[in-house]
Amino acid sequence: MTSEVGRRSVLRAGAGAGLALLAAPALAGCGSGSARAVTEGPVQISMWTHDPGYIKTFQSAVRGKALTKGSQFDYRMRFTTAAGTDIVTRMMAQAVADGDTPDLVGMIIDQFPRVMGARIAQNLFVDLSETVRPFDGRLLKLAPYSVDRIPYGLDSDNSVSVLYYRQDVFDRYRIPEDVDTWQELARIGERLHEQHRISLGMVATGDNGSIVNAFLQFLLQRGGGAFDASGGLTLDSPEAVEVLEFMARGVRTGFLMALPDPYGSACAAALKSGRLAATVMPNWYNVYGLQANVPEQKEKWRIRTLPRFSGGGHEASTLGGTAFCVLKDKPNTQAALELLRRVYLTREGQLLRYRSGGFLPTLKPLYEDAELRGITDDYLGGQRVFDVYGRAVADLPIFYQAPGMQILIDVLGGPVLSALQGKTSAAEAIKSGIRAYRQQVKR
Amino acid sequence: MTDSVTTRPRHAARTGPAPRRPGTPAERSWWNRHQRTLAPYVFISPFYLLYGLFLLVPVFVGLYLSCTQWAGLGAPRWVGLRNYRDLLTDHSFWTSVQNTTLYVVFTLCVVVPAALLIAQALNARGLRGRDLFRLTYFMPVVISPIVITLVFGLIFDRQFGLFNATLHALFGFGGVDWLGEPAWARVSVVILVLWRWTGYLTIFFLAGLQNVPRELYEAAALDGAGPVRRFWDVTLPALRPVTAFVAVTVLVNTAQIFDEPFLLTQGGPGESTLSVTMFIFRAGFQRQQLGYAAAAGVLLFVAVFVLGQLAMRVLGVGRSSR
Repeated sequence: MTSEVGRRSVLRAGAGAGLALLAAPALAGCGSGSARAVTEGPVQISMWTHDPGYIKTFQSAVRGKALTKGSQFDYRMRFTTAAGTDIVTRMMAQAVADGDTPDLVGMIIDQFPRVMGARIAQNLFVDLSETVRPFDGRLLKLAPYSVDRIPYGLDSDNSVSVLYYRQDVFDRYRIPEDVDTWQELARIGERLHEQHRISLGMVATGDNGSIVNAFLQFLLQRGGGAFDASGGLTLDSPEAVEVLEFMARGVRTGFLMALPDPYGSACAAALKSGRLAATVMPNWYNVYGLQANVPEQKEKWRIRTLPRFSGGGHEASTLGGTAFCVLKDKPNTQAALELLRRVYLTREGQLLRYRSGGFLPTLKPLYEDAELRGITDDYLGGQRVFDVYGRAVADLPIFYQAPGMQILIDVLGGPVLSALQGKTSAAEAIKSGIRAYRQQVKR
Repeated sequence: MTDSVTTRPRHAARTGPAPRRPGTPAERSWWNRHQRTLAPYVFISPFYLLYGLFLLVPVFVGLYLSCTQWAGLGAPRWVGLRNYRDLLTDHSFWTSVQNTTLYVVFTLCVVVPAALLIAQALNARGLRGRDLFRLTYFMPVVISPIVITLVFGLIFDRQFGLFNATLHALFGFGGVDWLGEPAWARVSVVILVLWRWTGYLTIFFLAGLQNVPRELYEAAALDGAGPVRRFWDVTLPALRPVTAFVAVTVLVNTAQIFDEPFLLTQGGPGESTLSVTMFIFRAGFQRQQLGYAAAAGVLLFVAVFVLGQLAMRVLGVGRSSR
């Protein structure tokens, strides 16, 4: 019997082998992990984050032992640092490929909407409902990381927006530090800009994310928002039009300075030159914005709660944040959840986070904590910052997200900018953004 | 001739003498029976495996994905050609196509000629500091994108920027909103493209110029040709292969432009500087519309392939010069 092997059959066999080779990882990925769940003893938690501040926090938590005292786990940490967008992309790629996902993942707030659709959050992350139940009403900032009202992430920072202002400039030009409303401050700001070319706030005119974030920060304070708790669009509101009109007028009169973004070189120049003497930004702007760009202005800056809009709204606003989520169905899931609970849901953990990275507590009662209330900030001239944050937290708006958040940012940036530049009315800009959003979100 | 001594008969080479064969053919191992036929395939298999794994598979997976709706997790849902149909009616996609076309046209019509002229200047006899010029022109390619973002963000800023300050000092006006005004934002991106790539392309032209025989210039000068005539009648024809290569490369690369608009404006203000690759990135990695992004990728591939082929035929790339 001759067994001649032809070229075609060899190529077929090769193709089959190739496909089998390719299918192997995919099939492996479909199978359930064979490793047994760790329920006690030594455990190495794999954590992915974009911010060294979180690495420092978790390292301190694990090394200090005070936070992990009494735990059935002996923690070791393994950190992977990557850009915020890459973390989500790589985590999902790993989940599809072979399941080598992190145990704990830090997600920037604007990245979370990527996992809100197609049941990605439900499939990847542990439902934290039971974990947060004991803190009912006392735990802040769960809403941006909830899908169908189920929380999947715990925020590291309350990201409370306050008014930063140059006390020396306010003194020099006799601007009261306790101006009650935005309208009043705008009148003062218009005069100040006319006479001295100094602005008392900024709006972003660069990328869509910065433009819309600056708008949303004011809008949340005014009592509006982009989405409601069920993910429905709530932008079509009188508050949205009012806020955009306020911002456009501010740009026109010079009360608000138009800058590409609040962190770049142009903003640094505005701060250094003294032409920007006040701005609304969250607590983290102290370190990442002011201290990074104008260290020489130490002790000149102060914070206060935001002036109110005369039409109503809140005393504070919020912008930004990073939540940590626990990956489900992994050997270390239970250990990671326990670590997250200890670092994020205990008084000691929240104090540690503030000390290691300046992250504001998310547990509301802690704003009355004597130790925190006594903290002073050297850069802010020794100001007792928790006096301000405490008042702000008492009236903080809730920020909801939806899977279409990124689409909204993309389509709203252009119209908002047009309104800020006076090319279109605020009402038309909001309408135009909503129209484009509804068209694109259908896909 | 040694052939008759060293070469075995053809049939012997095919079947091969087997000095020690255990048992009958049926008892021999499968590998022993087929090794002569299989050996060549085994030797070339690494290439085909890698080729299949890293080139063919991604292409076909991309094609498949373009006909699905997939958020990155779970099973993709087959939607046929719906993504393509949606793309054709997507205003953002067409904006990105228009912007990319502008970048391509600008690069071909401004950057390539500028690179040629700079190369011509650098090739001049007796030029001092030639290496310094080369280094300076090449430097933008190797500078970190972070530095580029910071520096150009400041250069183009409306209130604190170098451009506006210079305009104000020279002409008394300088209120151009380079990054905030859609039309000026596009201009800013093409200025960045000009700054970043002209020097790089100059290197190619300079290499080509150094291979143009001096005798041709001398002969043209003897015939009474001036510098301009020599450039048109000697330099350009001699550089035709290099120019064609540069033009095709630039066309294909600029059609996939991502860095410059992403670094400077992130596609904004609005979508005024959004390129097709940024559109794909946004759909895939910001909105989790991976099927939609794949469809846009397929369309971009088709467009680049067709344009590249056309340009190669028109410019005669790969054809031997007669």
